Amino acid sequence: MNGHTHNTDDRRELQMARSMCWHCQSEMAGEYFCDRCVKVQPVSKDLDYFTCFGLPRRLVIDTQVLEAKFYELSRAFHPDFYQNKSDAEQSISLGNSAMLNTAYRTLRDPIQRAEYLLDLEAGAVKDIRTSPPADLFEEILELQETLDEFRESNRASEQASTLRAKLDADRTNLEERQRDMEARLQQLFSRWDTLQDRGEATEQARTERNHILKDMRDILSNRTYVKNIVNDLVATIS
Amino acid sequence: MAYSEKVVDHFNNPRNVGSFKKEEDGVGTGIVGAPECGDVMKLQIKVQNDTIVDAKFKTFGCGSAIASSSLATEWLKGKTVEEAGKIKNTDIVQELNLPPVKIHCSVLAEDAIKAALADYQKKADPK
Repeated sequence: MNGHTHNTDDRRELQMARSMCWHCQSEMAGEYFCDRCVKVQPVSKDLDYFTCFGLPRRLVIDTQVLEAKFYELSRAFHPDFYQNKSDAEQSISLGNSAMLNTAYRTLRDPIQRAEYLLDLEAGAVKDIRTSPPADLFEEILELQETLDEFRESNRASEQASTLRAKLDADRTNLEERQRDMEARLQQLFSRWDTLQDRGEATEQARTERNHILKDMRDILSNRTYVKNIVNDLVATIS
Repeated sequence: MAYSEKVVDHFNNPRNVGSFKKEEDGVGTGIVGAPECGDVMKLQIKVQNDTIVDAKFKTFGCGSAIASSSLATEWLKGKTVEEAGKIKNTDIVQELNLPPVKIHCSVLAEDAIKAALADYQKKADPK
C-alpha cells in the first residue's frame, strides 16, 4: 500500500508482538485485547499513528472519525479502569494512554500530521537534499537588523516612524506569504492523497511522490522561519 | 529544563557578535537555518595566510543556538582553515553540556562553520 518499510528484525518483532498474547500466549486475532483472556495488549511502538486509529495514511482525514476513535480507545485504555488489575496491565494501560494522547495530538493538527507523515516517509525523501532557502535567510537577517535598529531608536523620533512604516509593510507582506504557503500546502496535501488513492507503483508515480514530499518539506521549513520572524515583528511593533 | 552555566554565560555575554562585509577579501560567510525550530545563524570568518584571524556571528534563535555559535567563533580564532574544518558538533555539545533536545543547535553551528569555510574557499579559488 505504501513505501514505509521496517527492517526485517523490526517486522518480525512487530508480528510477534501482534500475534501472541503476553498473558495467555494464545494467537491474537483481536486488535488491542486478547480474544481469549481479554487482557489489554501493549500498542506496538512500530504501529504508526494512522493505523493506530484505523485511518488511511492520508493528509486530509476525517477528524470526526479520529475523535470518535480517540474517545473509544481512551475509554478502553484509561488507567482508572485498571486500578484493580495486575501491575503488568496497569503499566500497559498507562503506556497505551500516553501513546494514544501523543498520537491524537499529532494527527489532530494538519501541520503536525504532515510533519509526522514526512517522518514516516523519510525513507523516500532521505536522498532528496532540500536546499536551504538562502534568499529567505538573507531577508530574515536584514529584517532582524531593522528590528534591532527600531528597538534601539527613540520611539518619538522621525527615524523610528520611518522604520515603523517599513516594518508594518514587511509584516503585511510576510503575512500574505504565510497565507500563500498555507494554500500551497493544502494543494500538496490533496495531490498526495490523490496519488496514494491511485496506488500506482510506476516509476512516474514514485517520482511524483518524491516531488510532493520534497515540496512539502520545503514549505513546512520555510513556514517555520517565516512564522518566527513574524512573531518577532509583531512582538516588537505592537 | 535549565540551561548549563556555560550556555547562560555565552547567552548573557555573547562573544564576537557582529558581521564583516561579505565582499571583503578573505571573508567567508555561512548562513544556515534549522527547519525544526526556525533558528537562523550567520557565521563569518576572516582569513589571512590560511589562518582565521577573526570570526563573527549573528544568531536569531534559542539560547543554545546563540551559545553554540558564540563558542564556535571563539574556537575558530587562531585556527588554520584545515583545523577549523575538524570542529565537530559533539565537541560543542560536550563543552556546553547540551541536553539531547538541543543537539540540533550544535549541528547548526557545525553547519555554519562548514558553510563559511566553503564560501571562503570558493572566493579564494574561483573556478
